Amino acid sequence: HHSFPLQRKKLTQSMGRKNPAKEALILLRSRLCNPNFIFTSFSNSPDSNYSKLKFIISTSVIEACNNSVLLLGPRGCGKIAVLELVMADLLKEYPDMISVIKLNGLLHSDDNCALKEIARQLCVEHQLLFSKMASFDDNSQFMVAMLRECGLAHKTVIFVLDEFDLFTQGKQRLLYSLLDAMQSVTSQAVVVGVSCRLDADQLLEKRVRSRFSHRELLFLPPSKEELQRLLEHILLLPTDSSLPHDYVVEFNAKLLNIFAEERFKEIIDTLSNSDSTFNYLLRFLFSAVCYMDLESGFLSLENFKAALSSIQRQPKLECLKDCSILELYILVCMKRLEVKEQDSYNFNSVMKEYKSIHDSFQTSDYYAWNVCLRAFEHLLQRELVSFVDNRGHNQSIEFRPVKLLIFSQELYQGLKSHHSCPAILQKLIDREG
Amino acid sequence: MAETPKKQIQSITKPRQSPRQKPKLSQSSLNPPTPQTLAPTRRSSRLISSPEPPLPPPSLRSSRRTSLDFNLNTPPKSINHTPISAKNVEKSKRKGGNDSIDVSLSPVSPDRHEAKRRKKCSELNVGTAKTRVSRNMQFEGKKRNCAAPKRVYYKKVVYDGGEFSVGDDVYVKRREDASSDDEDPVVEECWVCLKAGRKVMIECDDCLGGFHLKCLKPPLKEVPEGDWICGFCQARKLGKKVELPIPPKGKKRARTLREKLLSSDLWAAHIESIWKEVDESYWFRGRWYMIPEETAAGRQPHNLKRELYRTNDFADIEMESVLRHCYVMNPKEFSKANNEGNDVFLCEYEYDIHWHSFKRLAEIDNGEEDDEESDNDEDWNSCKDLDSDTEEDLEYEEENRNNLFAGPSPAHELAANLRKGRIFGLQKIGMKKIPEHVRCQKQTELERAKAKLLLATLPKSLPCRNKEMEEITTFIKGAICDDQCLGRCLYIHGVPGTGKTMSVLAIMRNLRSEVDAGSIKPYCFVEINGLKLASPENIYRVIYEALSGHRVSWKKALHLLNERFSNGTKSGKEDNRPCILLIDELDLLVTRNQSVLYNILDWPTKPHSKLVIIGIANTMDLPEKLLPRISSRMGMQRLCFGPYNYQQLQEIISTRLKGIDAFEKQAIEFASRKVAAVSGDARRALEICRRAAELTDYRIKKLASLPNSVSAGKALVGMADVEAAIQEMFQAPHIQVMKSCSKLSKIFLAAMVHELYKTGMGETTFEKLAMTVSCLCTSNGEAFPGWDTLLKVGCKLGECRIILCEAGARHRLQKLQLNFPSDDVAFALKGNNELPWLAKYL
Repeated sequence: HHSFPLQRKKLTQSMGRKNPAKEALILLRSRLCNPNFIFTSFSNSPDSNYSKLKFIISTSVIEACNNSVLLLGPRGCGKIAVLELVMADLLKEYPDMISVIKLNGLLHSDDNCALKEIARQLCVEHQLLFSKMASFDDNSQFMVAMLRECGLAHKTVIFVLDEFDLFTQGKQRLLYSLLDAMQSVTSQAVVVGVSCRLDADQLLEKRVRSRFSHRELLFLPPSKEELQRLLEHILLLPTDSSLPHDYVVEFNAKLLNIFAEERFKEIIDTLSNSDSTFNYLLRFLFSAVCYMDLESGFLSLENFKAALSSIQRQPKLECLKDCSILELYILVCMKRLEVKEQDSYNFNSVMKEYKSIHDSFQTSDYYAWNVCLRAFEHLLQRELVSFVDNRGHNQSIEFRPVKLLIFSQELYQGLKSHHSCPAILQKLIDREG
Repeated sequence: MAETPKKQIQSITKPRQSPRQKPKLSQSSLNPPTPQTLAPTRRSSRLISSPEPPLPPPSLRSSRRTSLDFNLNTPPKSINHTPISAKNVEKSKRKGGNDSIDVSLSPVSPDRHEAKRRKKCSELNVGTAKTRVSRNMQFEGKKRNCAAPKRVYYKKVVYDGGEFSVGDDVYVKRREDASSDDEDPVVEECWVCLKAGRKVMIECDDCLGGFHLKCLKPPLKEVPEGDWICGFCQARKLGKKVELPIPPKGKKRARTLREKLLSSDLWAAHIESIWKEVDESYWFRGRWYMIPEETAAGRQPHNLKRELYRTNDFADIEMESVLRHCYVMNPKEFSKANNEGNDVFLCEYEYDIHWHSFKRLAEIDNGEEDDEESDNDEDWNSCKDLDSDTEEDLEYEEENRNNLFAGPSPAHELAANLRKGRIFGLQKIGMKKIPEHVRCQKQTELERAKAKLLLATLPKSLPCRNKEMEEITTFIKGAICDDQCLGRCLYIHGVPGTGKTMSVLAIMRNLRSEVDAGSIKPYCFVEINGLKLASPENIYRVIYEALSGHRVSWKKALHLLNERFSNGTKSGKEDNRPCILLIDELDLLVTRNQSVLYNILDWPTKPHSKLVIIGIANTMDLPEKLLPRISSRMGMQRLCFGPYNYQQLQEIISTRLKGIDAFEKQAIEFASRKVAAVSGDARRALEICRRAAELTDYRIKKLASLPNSVSAGKALVGMADVEAAIQEMFQAPHIQVMKSCSKLSKIFLAAMVHELYKTGMGETTFEKLAMTVSCLCTSNGEAFPGWDTLLKVGCKLGECRIILCEAGARHRLQKLQLNFPSDDVAFALKGNNELPWLAKYL
């Protein structure tokens, strides 16, 4: 009975000190979810968008000038993340001198509501009372007056217009009055437009475009080297953390080994071949980290493999897998009709084909018309089949022309991998190649 | 809080209720959230020391003033502290400076002997004052007199040998008892020999002490350029102990008014209005200045020695307590003022005594027009305010204050974005402390160039538009001077950024000064921007509000305007003046039945309408697009602002950059040639230059931040920077995106081009394209990624608008089209070393 206290001691030790693997997992996950952490690794170089954007905004703060910037680039390249990072840093550097107004084109593309929202946020920022009842004129006058007063008080107002392209619908009153105020009042304001449309500035009306200062920052997906750097930046554990030192050293060594492996490089290549943006990579890494085995406490190549297959899905094929036999019949029938170069067909013609198959092969799977219609509706819902056009809503389903939304190769593949596909269907498909 | 200020003060002035002992004052607990305090009364409490208010029966006085009188008998500390909320008390506790100020305010008994000693030689200046001003004043005075025999307002008054007019700054006595204040040395004494003398003196830029040139060791021949610091200050800076020359016994060093002001033994105020009370005593309404030590933030390191803050604190002061003029200037004037004497001060900021915040003073106008402009304003105000007078102002002020007191109860506070609440809300905006960087920076040439190139900075002159401006001027002048003023309508068109609006506004400014000079008749000017109206019909409302100041619905406004312009019903005499209506972005007023435009353009054709309309728009053929009855009314007189050519653009940029050596000459020419070739838009040209300067600045600052680099002595914006700015502005970024997109996207794009070449059709479907892609992949040894992945890639490209595509749900049937010329794609993808085989298909 000497061993009992010893065991107990061990137990309490492990209770007090959490499993290092668990801690590491939490750390990695929190890193992956924190865009500020991801993009700080790029903030140092003078060519980075971070320092360029920071320079543009900080000159407006320091030199009291107006600017308008467009941040362009595909989705998932860190436009908003970098902007947030810049603003967080500037707010720290110049406390009480910057107020940020955020609008989103999806929410505020209507000029009236956008101006109201601007007025509301200005009121919140400066602890003023806001009234919902104010009219368009009131709000726009208030905005101009506030811009002026803020300029006199050396305060910079930053307008962030996310989904900038959507603000260009209609008469563009908001953009006009904002930019016109900026060129005629003693204000210091920055308009930051964020858009994934590369032609966003072409959407501006001439008189609005003339007032826009046309600073443009392009956000691109990371290059191969940057990807590599990012991987190390994210996944390697810090040596100066609360984690046990030995564990960190071993973890990092194993990870670097994986990085060096050819198979790992292949995985990363397949990943970035289809989509090389930051966002996609982060999603991939997150699922890889989640696959980490807590027993061993280390990341392995298998984790990355599993993550790749979980992130690169083939939704159509997976859809096929879940289809019932009748649904497969319908799909094959439609396929046959298309091969016969019957351009336009509807449910009734599909049923005719179905009947002819049944007649010629005497299959055991012959269902009633209404059962088939139900299956057909199901296919429509899963978007394996769709109507050709939006016309004829009042027509009943069976008369509307439909199209197959799946490639024949995919159908072929799907039938092959289906667990209970009747042989006759495969034969039919094979015959047509 | 329903209590009146009077009550508060009385409650405070109870003995033994010093805020130090009881930081939670009754009133501070009553209204904690707003720092409104009774700060104004703190300042106004200065009135105590000034001679008794002259209104004969004390019972008639405003409650505020009586309460102040009541204050007289209480210890000064409580006067000074009580009105301030607890937080503020804490602040002043911290600061030694504030305390000393308080102490120096000793209890004063209203002593009028001294005041009487001053020779009374007040005399109003009605006769001798200059023509226009005096005319106004007389008129005003008369009007006052017949209305009520109470007060007479003046523009200018000669009092005690000095001439004081509205807008002047004066020293105001703070206390009466100190005998040293009797003789105010106008001439400063030298710190070394302690004599005044008429010899040239130099001022130390640190301690502001004056020194005779010959008294210095070594003596100076002339005043040196730049900053000069006296020996005492130099020694003090080096850490030595400094002994100033001690004045001989019996003679005290006479302090100048400036010194007294800066050590808060005196006050300075800005005269807002002057009047004579019924009992013949002269009063003025003053706006206090504050020295930095008196503010909540205290003296900040960047405060200049001669800096004052204008406050939003007003007080009625008797002319008796005025000592003499001082000169408070804005930074521009201050930097120019060299030999204006000792009473020059700098004022750049306004200090809000309620919120303890700072705000830059708005520049009235810039440059040469300054004087005319301010005169002009005055004149205009006096014309307008004939009926409304300062007493109303007072009431308004009072109301405003009540508003402030009512702060905590939200029922009284008005929303800031409503029209009525704006004044209340905007007061609040301000800095708690003026940031150092805005004051201390020595601007580099580049930074000054950038500031000059800003669109918001109004240039002093508008080059290259002389002909057009002349034409507009003659048009307006002709319209105004013509008594009939019939059917006057001018349509100005031109592409954006050619100075249309700016020219018209500049002309209007010039004309206003001509009105002041009396060479043309007064008129009213209304400026409207079509794009800033909520709806076209709103224009009636805006016009009517601008003309009459009343807000009515647009239908009512239309009716009233019709009455005024068509039927000639004039309500007041001001309506007789011709009205110039500037409508910017006129095309926005076009409604379906074009009734708005018709109504507006119909007015000038009516006799006695006296309406001149200037319409501005971009399109040349706007009148032709309208109904014939409108175009016949508008299209008669047109003026085209053509796009600028490159010489004009170059001139515009160089005039802005005059005196700043930041740009290479070719760089400006390059930028202007480029813009002239594309659009001739001056804004664009200015922005390119500014961006180029910014890029240069960025490069230089980055270089400077690197430790081992030699700083390039002079930074000139060169061709390369302009080129980069032009690239950024004119080049679409799609090529770069195509170059850096994923491998599959590149194959996808190549397949699009291939498909285009093969079929000659711009549009294709996803089905066909997927086939092509799979062909490309199999024949070049690439793994085909799968249809779904390919669809996603296509949609991502569509999102960036590199290709145009339908929704991804259409899948196989999705239509695709390149958004850019196929050559661009070919150019972007050709030199690709990752996928060299792509070149075959491009």
